[in-house]
Amino acid sequence: MRYQNATAYRFLAPYLLIFSVFWVWPIISSFLISFQATRTVPWRWAPTFNWGRLIGDPAFFNALKNTLLILVIQVPVMISLAIVMAVLLNSPLLKARGLYRFAFFAPVVVGEVAYSAVFRLMFNLNFGIINKLLNSVGLPSIDWFSNVTPAMALIMIAVTWRWAGYNAIILLAGLQSIPDDVYEAATLDRVSKVKQFFYITLPLLKPIIVFCAVLSIIGTMQLFTEPFLITERGGPGGGTETLGLLLYRQGFRSLNFGYASAVAYTMAGLAIAITLVQLWLTKEPK
Amino acid sequence: MAAVTLSNVVKRFGVYEIIHGANIDIADGEFVVFVGPSGCGKSTLLRMVAGLEDISGGEIAIGGKVMNDVEAAERGIAMVFQSYALYPHMTVEQNLSFGLRMNGNPKADTERRVKRAAEILCIDELMQRRPKQLSGGQRQRVAIGRAIVREPQVFLFDEPLSNLDAELRVQMRVEISRLHKELGVTMIYVTHDQTEAMTLADRIVVLKAGNVEQIGAPLDLYDDPANRFVAGFIGSPKMNFLAAKVVETGDGAATIELVNHAGARFKKPLQTTPPAVGADVVLGVRPEHFFDAGQGDCDISVKADVAEHLGSVSYVYADAGDTELIIEREASRHRASGDHLVVSIKAGKALLFDTKGARIR
Repeated sequence: MRYQNATAYRFLAPYLLIFSVFWVWPIISSFLISFQATRTVPWRWAPTFNWGRLIGDPAFFNALKNTLLILVIQVPVMISLAIVMAVLLNSPLLKARGLYRFAFFAPVVVGEVAYSAVFRLMFNLNFGIINKLLNSVGLPSIDWFSNVTPAMALIMIAVTWRWAGYNAIILLAGLQSIPDDVYEAATLDRVSKVKQFFYITLPLLKPIIVFCAVLSIIGTMQLFTEPFLITERGGPGGGTETLGLLLYRQGFRSLNFGYASAVAYTMAGLAIAITLVQLWLTKEPK
Repeated sequence: MAAVTLSNVVKRFGVYEIIHGANIDIADGEFVVFVGPSGCGKSTLLRMVAGLEDISGGEIAIGGKVMNDVEAAERGIAMVFQSYALYPHMTVEQNLSFGLRMNGNPKADTERRVKRAAEILCIDELMQRRPKQLSGGQRQRVAIGRAIVREPQVFLFDEPLSNLDAELRVQMRVEISRLHKELGVTMIYVTHDQTEAMTLADRIVVLKAGNVEQIGAPLDLYDDPANRFVAGFIGSPKMNFLAAKVVETGDGAATIELVNHAGARFKKPLQTTPPAVGADVVLGVRPEHFFDAGQGDCDISVKADVAEHLGSVSYVYADAGDTELIIEREASRHRASGDHLVVSIKAGKALLFDTKGARIR
């Protein structure tokens, strides 16, 4: 038995080696680095240096505020939109369902740089199609990139566009697992379609919604691409800087790896905490 | 309570016609069972009555009112599904009351109806459980309870016992029968199990490939089937069919000779014109209608293959040349493989069919 185990571990060894070097060790190493002052040569052990700075750093709290704001507004909007899209995709009345499914999923496949560039063009103050549309209905142009509120809105719109379809596909799988005869029973119980949605579909879809929400929370806590590429590194004036961007700025532009590690652990801790709270709130009774 | 009438009901899925003009009259308070093999259209027909499937042609009336364009919810029916279709996130009590609550039924009346259903089905103790915490039989009771609280004009059952084990199936069969007596409501029940059909029904509708083959009381179908399909489908073990030939006619009777049993012939009185001499026919004999040698109108010798001893009776599976016969014997507990057995057929107990399956009376 022991010999068999040894053989199994020998087969697993290449994977375990790579996993340890490129996964486990960086996790441990970054945790240790977060307790070191890394702007000096050589780095020195200073347990409170980065964590102490974090507590009093206005840039950190600005990034935290922006990240949580996006989380609180964008995630519920996106999940709600994804549910509506999934229900529409699941409708027997819909023709060419495969085409819509592909179209909804396509944004995930599009390259981040390409999609960010297109968004920048679409929301351009002078020639972007969005402002043209606003003007056509009598609304003034919005300078999406120079003011904080429109810039935040733009980030949320972009993230929603990119991920709503992805979540809709996951939710669609959940919808399709609800048996038709449950709806037929409700129809015979004279329950309207709207009430069926709120009293049958949503409760039965809850585990999938929670799953999508957890994925979205983790994704939002790490949000980087959109504020980096669309609003040009968290502009205007750090108005859209997220924790992910702060980490990048500290780690790879200021080469302050200690502080960046502390930020990284804070992000992970917050994602875990929020997810646990959510799982607890949506726990099924035994 | 209400009568249900199906007049020339047709169902098409695209270009494929599934139900070919069904005509069925179900009296108020009657228990009717639709029975037939898989794919015969019995569930489709039930779903058309329920309003869950559109009607491609003909009319369905409930309580004298044509229901073709009436929504399922407004037809005054309740349905028990094969899979139970309980709401998995609700307790038993919530499952029972859901429809009434959603329609603004007075709380006191809802509670009264739920309590009554729970008492009828003995599920009072389960009210706070969820479906996943119930056994198959308990789920089935809840599904029936959900139908009862609606106080419908017509109950529809779509193979409700097929997911239960044999013992529970017998128990639930008795309970459904008792429920029908207690409520006195029209019930339409779909099954592929002819035993369920025989034990539950006031009348059975036998379906095959979208056609109604015969409608009648269980024993009428058993004793006097309209064709070979009904004769073979109703009865367990099924009727035996033997190849035969008409060798002589006259005096309102035909002399029949069994093809694979030289010399085995008997005179069969007929009410209609007999087939021509030399015509191929099929003789139908139920397993219990084989008698001891010399006691019938003609004897045949067969070789016992396998015997199933059920206690009160035994079924001998015997090789009869062209076909395997199932013979019911009361005193053959020691019958073994390879034994030769001589059994007798009585003309009055044998049924005659032409080669297309139509009954020759």
